[in-house]
Amino acid sequence: MAEMVTILIDGKPIEVEKGTLVIEAARRIGVMIPHFCYHPKLKPDANCRMCLVEVEKMPKLQTSCSTVVAEGMVVRTNTPVVDEAHKSVLEFILANHPLDCPICDQGGRCDLQDFSHRYTPTGSQFTDTKRVYEKGFFSPLIEKEMNRCVSCLRCVRYCDEIMDVKALANAARSTMTEIVHFAGHPLDCEFCGGCVQICPVGAITSRLSMYEFRPWMMKRADTTCGYCGDGCSLILETRGEKVIEVMSSHGNGRNNGDLCAKGFFGYQYVNHEDRLTTPLVRQADGNLHPVTWDEVLPVLAERLTQIKLAHGADAIGGLISARCTNEDLYLFQKFMRLAIGSNHLDSTARYGHVNAARALRRVQGTNRWTVSYEDIVQADALLLIGTQVTAANPIVGLKVKEAVKKHGATLLTLETLVPSIETTSNITNLSALHVAVPPGRHAAAVRGLVKAAFDENLVDAALSSRAGDYVSRIRAAATALPYPEGLDEAALRAVAKAFAGARRGVILIGQDLLQAPGGHESAVNLLDFLLLLGKLTQPGWGLAPLTEENNEQGAVEMGATAEYLPGPADVGDAAARTQIAGAWKDQPPASQGMHLLEMLDAARAGTLKAMLIVGENPVRSLPLSAKAASALEKLDLLVVQELFLTETAKLADVVLPACSYAEKTGTFTNSEGFVQKVRPGLEPVGDSRPDWEILSSLSVMMGYPLEYGDAKEILKEIRAVIPGYRVLGAKPEPAQVAAKSVEQYLTRGFAEDLPARYSAGAAPKANSHRWALAVGQTLFHSGAMSTKAQGLLELQHEGKLIMNPADAQRLGIADGDRVRLTSTSGEATVPVTMLGRIPEGTLFFPESFREALAGLPSMTPDPVTGVPYCKQLRVSVDKVGTGGASSGPPPARIAGGK
Amino acid sequence: MTSAFSKAAQERIPGIIARYAEKRGALLPLLWLAQEEQGYVSEEAMKEIAGWLDLTPPQVYETVTFYTMYNRRPIGKYHIQVCRSLMCALVGTDNLLGWIHAKLGIKTGQTTPDGLFTLSQVECLGSCGTGPMMQINDDYYERLTQDKTNRVLDDVKREGKCPLATGPFMFPEPAQK
Repeated sequence: MAEMVTILIDGKPIEVEKGTLVIEAARRIGVMIPHFCYHPKLKPDANCRMCLVEVEKMPKLQTSCSTVVAEGMVVRTNTPVVDEAHKSVLEFILANHPLDCPICDQGGRCDLQDFSHRYTPTGSQFTDTKRVYEKGFFSPLIEKEMNRCVSCLRCVRYCDEIMDVKALANAARSTMTEIVHFAGHPLDCEFCGGCVQICPVGAITSRLSMYEFRPWMMKRADTTCGYCGDGCSLILETRGEKVIEVMSSHGNGRNNGDLCAKGFFGYQYVNHEDRLTTPLVRQADGNLHPVTWDEVLPVLAERLTQIKLAHGADAIGGLISARCTNEDLYLFQKFMRLAIGSNHLDSTARYGHVNAARALRRVQGTNRWTVSYEDIVQADALLLIGTQVTAANPIVGLKVKEAVKKHGATLLTLETLVPSIETTSNITNLSALHVAVPPGRHAAAVRGLVKAAFDENLVDAALSSRAGDYVSRIRAAATALPYPEGLDEAALRAVAKAFAGARRGVILIGQDLLQAPGGHESAVNLLDFLLLLGKLTQPGWGLAPLTEENNEQGAVEMGATAEYLPGPADVGDAAARTQIAGAWKDQPPASQGMHLLEMLDAARAGTLKAMLIVGENPVRSLPLSAKAASALEKLDLLVVQELFLTETAKLADVVLPACSYAEKTGTFTNSEGFVQKVRPGLEPVGDSRPDWEILSSLSVMMGYPLEYGDAKEILKEIRAVIPGYRVLGAKPEPAQVAAKSVEQYLTRGFAEDLPARYSAGAAPKANSHRWALAVGQTLFHSGAMSTKAQGLLELQHEGKLIMNPADAQRLGIADGDRVRLTSTSGEATVPVTMLGRIPEGTLFFPESFREALAGLPSMTPDPVTGVPYCKQLRVSVDKVGTGGASSGPPPARIAGGK
Repeated sequence: MTSAFSKAAQERIPGIIARYAEKRGALLPLLWLAQEEQGYVSEEAMKEIAGWLDLTPPQVYETVTFYTMYNRRPIGKYHIQVCRSLMCALVGTDNLLGWIHAKLGIKTGQTTPDGLFTLSQVECLGSCGTGPMMQINDDYYERLTQDKTNRVLDDVKREGKCPLATGPFMFPEPAQK
C-alpha cells in the first residue's frame, strides 16, 4: 500500500499517493488546471508555465505539473493572482499564435482555443509583428505548421520517452524554436502519429484528414484495431460512408492511447475503391459476374448440399482468416462442424500461432498467457526471442521500452537484428545482453538456453527433488548438445543467468521463432526453461507468444482449427465433446480433421471437392511451390468471402462480399487474452455482409439453421461454452497455470518427444546459396491488407531487400540498385536498400510485398503441427547487369550487447 | 566510407569521449572538432557524431542549432566576428562594420567572392574595455580604427595573420617565466 498524503485543493481535502503531482491530484477532484506541456505519460518539463497555482507558505506561484504533493499542502487554483498569471502566460503564447483557427484542423479540440475562451483575452499588449516560419514540406503523412506551435515540446518528448525514436528535435531557441527532423529534411520516422495526437494545438496534424471535417461533425466508434495481436483500442472517426481518421485516447485500452503507423495511418483500405460490393458468381463464360444475395445464396446452399450428398461431408473443407471476429470464427467452425458436418477446417493461426498455443496447453493447461502487459512493464528481466517486436507488435514493443526506460528492467534479446540507431526504434539498442541469432537459428538458440540453465547451475532445487526424473532426463538431452555453432556461447550463458536472477521475468516470443522449423518444439523447450528455473508457476513470470494477426488467439479459442473444439479443447476429448454437444444439441463430427496443407493435398488428390474460404488468401500466403492455386482449381466448388478480389477469390466459383472490421460488431481476443469490443464505425460497404451473417443465412438455406439476431447473441453462446470468455471487460480473469497439467507434463508428458525437442536439428543445408534471407513484417505493413491503405503506401510502396551497408559496399551495390536472388526453388529480382540493423550476411524482405519474391521461397511443413514454414531461406545475390559471380557473406559475426 | 574527419582528428575522438562520464557529454567538443576540420559542422559530421555517441542525428542537430557559434554552412577561410554587445556598440560596432564593408564589400552573414572572409556579428567577446573589436579566427584585434582595420585585413589576406593581434588575455595572468 502506497503511503498517502492529504492535501487541500481549493478548500477540498483529497488523499493521494505520495509522489503524486499537484496537477494530477487536482484533476481527481475535478479541478482542471490549464496546461500545455504537461502530459501524464511524460516526465514533467514545466516549460509552458501555464499551470501556475498558489501554494500556501511558498513565496511564488508554483507549476502544478512539477510540484509533488506534501502532507498538509494547501493549494489554490482560482485566486485572482493565479487567474492573472494564467492570463499573462496565455497572452505571451498568443503573442505569436496566428488567428487561423478557421483553417486549422485542431479547431474544436484545441487546448489553446479552449483556454482562450476560458480567459477571454480580448486584447494584447504586444504590438510587434508575429513570428513567421518559412513553410516547407514536412512529410507525406504529417503536416507541420510551426506558426501555431506553443513550444511545449510534448511531441519531442513523446518521440524520445515513449517511442524511443528521437526523430523530432527542437531546433534553434527562444521564440524561434522550431520542431524539426534532422537538418530540416522531411520527417523519416516510425510514423506512429503520436506527435499528431499529443500536440495540444494545430502545429502537427495528419495530412490524411487535412481540411476534411471539424471534430464535432464526425461520428466516433470505439473499437479495436484489426492489424496485429496487440489489440489496441482506437476510435474510428467517420463521416457518412468514410473513415476520416483514427484517434486513440490516453488512459484507454491495452495500448493506453499509443498507436503505431498501421493503427494510426493504415485505415484507408476500408474505403478502398476495389472493395467488393456485390456477390460474384462464375458463369458459363468463365468470368465472375455480379449477382444479388437472393440469387446466390439458395444456389450456393444447394450446391453445398449436393456435394455433401454425393461425396460426403468430408469432401468439404473450410479456411478462415484470424482477422475475423470471434463471432465470425465461432460461427464458422459451428457451420463447418454442424451444417456441413466436416472437421476439415483451419484458420490462419496455422501459420504459426498454433505452435505456441499447443505448447502452452500441453505444459500449463491453458493456451493463454499467464502474464499481462502490466507484468511486462513491471518485469525486471525481459527475454525477447525472435520477436522483431517493434515491427510486428509495436505496442508490446512500447511496453518493453517502458519497462527498460522507466523501470530499469534488464532487456535480454535473442534476435536477428543487431543494435544500430536509425530512423525507427530498434529494441536491441536497449538490450543489456544481445545474442545475434541468424534467421532460422532461434530454435537452436533456445536449446542453448536450456543447456545454459544446467551449465550455470540455475535449476531450481525444489524441482530437482520433486521431479528428479524430468530434470535428469532434460539435463541429459539438453547438455548432450553442443552450444549452437555461430552463436556467442558466453552471451547465451549470461542471458540465462541474468534471466534466472530476476525477481519477475517474462519471455516474449514472436514470428522468427514460431514461424520457423522447430517452432513448436522451441515453445515447449522455453516452458522447460521456465520450469527448470522454478519460475513457471510464480506470479509475474510467464511465456508470452505474440501473434501476427489480431485475432489468432481468438481463432484457437473459438475452435477454428481442425484439432480444437471451442475452448480450445481437443477434438477427441470426450468430456469436452459432451459439453459442447450439450450446448449445441448436436454432436460435432468425430473424425480427425485436416489442417490447411492436408486440405490442399486432398483437393489435389480429388478427395476434397469444395472449400469455403473466409477472408484468407492461401494462394498468396503460401509460396508458389505449395501449389495452392492448382489445388484450389481442382475443387468442384470454391467459395470465398472477401473484402477484395484476391488471388484466391479470382479462382473462386462464388465470391461473397464481406464487411471489414470497421463495419462489424463483435470481439477480438488479443495476444494476452483480453477480449475486446469491435464496434462499427460505418454501415456495410455496398451489399457486403458480416461473415457470420453470410454463414448464418447459408445454414438456414441448407436446412440446418444457425440463427442469431445479432453478433451479441453469438457472443452470449461463446460465453456459455468457452471458460475464458465468462468474465470480459477491463479486468478479465487472469489465466492460471494448471497444477494438474504441469504435474502430468513433469511425470509423463515431457518424454514423448524429448529426443526430437533436443536434437541439433538438420544442419543448415550446405549449398551454394550462402545468404540467409528472412521474410517478415515491417513497421508499415502487415499482410496484404495494409498494401491497400494509401497512407501506408506513402511510407513504403514497394518491397525492397534490406542488407547491411557493409555487405552492400563490398558488392558495389547502391541504394535502389536491383539484385537477382536465387534459391533452390526459384529466382527473383528486387531493389535493394540498406540498414545497419540487418547483420552482415543476412537479408530481409518485407512479407507484405512477397509477390516480388515469386517462386523464391520454398516450404517445409511442420511434421506435428502442420505449420507451413516458408519465411527463412538461403539465397545467392547477384547484382543485376554486372553478371559477376555471386559472392557469399562473410563468416557469421557475433555481436555482443552494449 | 569517407569521413568528415581527417585521420588525425579521428584519432583524437576516443580520448575526447573518454573524458566524460556519459558519452553524450562529448557532443560539444566533437562538434568543435568537426568545425575545426571543415570550418563548419556538416550534416555528414553530425551523422558521424551521432553514431559515436549513440544519439540520433536530430538530437545532434538540435544542439548545433542552439549554439550560434557552430556554423552550419561553409564559411570563408577567415571568420571575422564583430562584437555587437553594449560596450562595443557604444564605441562603434556600426563604424567597424562599415569599415569592413568598405574594405571587403561584405555585410553581416556574407562571404567575400574569393571565399576568404566571412563576416558575423556576435555577442560579447569579453573585451569590453577595448572596443570596438573583432575576432578573426582565433585572434583578437582591439581598439580598432579604420586604418588599423584596413591593415589587419590586408595582412590577414596576404599572410593569414597580422602582428596587431592582441591577447590571449588570461586572468589571473600566468606567472612570468
